[in-house]
Amino acid sequence: MTGFEAITHHNGWAMAVVGATIVISGLAILSLIISQLHKVIGLLEKKNKAPVVEIPEENLKESASAENCPANIEVTLELYRPLIEELDEQFQLADLYALAKKYHLHHPHLSIRCLRDSGTLESLGDGFFRLVG
Amino acid sequence: MELLELFLQFFSNTGFFLADYRNIIMLVIGIVFVYLAIAKEYEPLLLLPIGFGVIVGNIPFFKGFGIGIYEANSVLHYLYFGVTSGVYPSIVFLGLGAMTDFSFLLSNPKLMLLGAAAQMGIFFTLLSALALGFAPNEASSIAIIGGADGPTSIFLTAKLAPELIGPIAIAAYSYMALIPIIQPPIMKLLTTHKERVIRMPDLREVSKKERLIFPVVGIILCCFLAPASIPLLGPFFFGNLMKESGVVERLAQTARTAVIDTATIFLGFTVGASTQGDVFLNPKSIGIFILGAVAFSIATASGVIFAKIMNLFLKQKINPLLGASGVSAVPGSAREVHMMGLKSDPTNYLLMHAMACNSSGVIGSAICAGILWSFSMK
Repeated sequence: MTGFEAITHHNGWAMAVVGATIVISGLAILSLIISQLHKVIGLLEKKNKAPVVEIPEENLKESASAENCPANIEVTLELYRPLIEELDEQFQLADLYALAKKYHLHHPHLSIRCLRDSGTLESLGDGFFRLVG
Repeated sequence: MELLELFLQFFSNTGFFLADYRNIIMLVIGIVFVYLAIAKEYEPLLLLPIGFGVIVGNIPFFKGFGIGIYEANSVLHYLYFGVTSGVYPSIVFLGLGAMTDFSFLLSNPKLMLLGAAAQMGIFFTLLSALALGFAPNEASSIAIIGGADGPTSIFLTAKLAPELIGPIAIAAYSYMALIPIIQPPIMKLLTTHKERVIRMPDLREVSKKERLIFPVVGIILCCFLAPASIPLLGPFFFGNLMKESGVVERLAQTARTAVIDTATIFLGFTVGASTQGDVFLNPKSIGIFILGAVAFSIATASGVIFAKIMNLFLKQKINPLLGASGVSAVPGSAREVHMMGLKSDPTNYLLMHAMACNSSGVIGSAICAGILWSFSMK
């Protein structure tokens, strides 16, 4: 027996439709569950955290730059100078960030922000920067 | 005189006397596989053991002395037990689990749907095989080639149609090795340049807790749905949990190196040796090879088309090339998708996203095997 007759005889249509439906719905449910997983974990972790004392925004800004930025910006600059030299004279921060990640430098986002805040990286507009000095 | 008789008797037992054209054909195929593995580096980890196994299995011998793989008490027969019992595929899955990093999938879970969509090739081929006159158990075993997963194909065939293990395993592994030839034209045909240059969003960082919970949730959900996939998905998720837990690094390291390598060696070698010309070369094998190619192509196409359909509803579009990596040929199809993406835009890196689809394809094809096996239980 061959052709559509054979498919019908062996219940092939039902096997194909039911099989395809099961695998798609199974993976869709799994996908749905894992898409919520980090939210559930975040929620549970939040619950277990100690209450946070609110700090006025101005103080927060001050302390963030004072505490998080390296004490000596020159050290950070020494680390980033070879990377900046690899780029064009005018470059985008995203490119510098990608290079920093490539060379496994710690906290590239923070370091670049500090270089910017300290005026070591000068904005030229349109998202381009250059190294000062 | 006695000397001549003894010589003739000896000669009549040699391969030169016993060989027929089918052995010669298979020997040539075995040599081609070995050549492709060494010279072209097409899936050498698979093609080399299989190719050499084909050569060993097709050296003619005097039957009845317990030499061949189909003769009881032969060494090869004992080694082949790992294939017919489904032991090797389970061990391979253990190692695969210990190798797989699900972070990419966890950071973009909707890519899992592409792994499901690419399994449509399996069900299309099931219908095609039934239409060509194959029995349902044989049709299911042939259809699973569309999952592009060698161990899964061998596992299901061992359970449903053990007599077809040789051609199905060879077809499955051959098409996996031929991914660089089969997939790119299909991807190119079904996508526009504009679609191929779509950039995927940066992957978010996945916490260790997520990576630990996933194998537990995965095994429970998948195996509640299709309990027949326990022999494959059980070791797979267990291997992954060992890797992610970090507390049994020694075991995880062994599973992803020595254990999977040992199983792969014996799996490939004995599957190759099971392709004795007189058993292997028949019209059914040719049908299996044709259907296998259809299955693989449809699987690739359905993944790509499904990604395009998803794009109709998504704000953040998916690069439809990723659909092609929904088949579970790890990491071959992911690599091919990445290369195709780079050809269209040299700065577009799709590899990590393609690996997400690839790993969900492994889960999808194992679930399909479980489903098809369940359908055959009466």
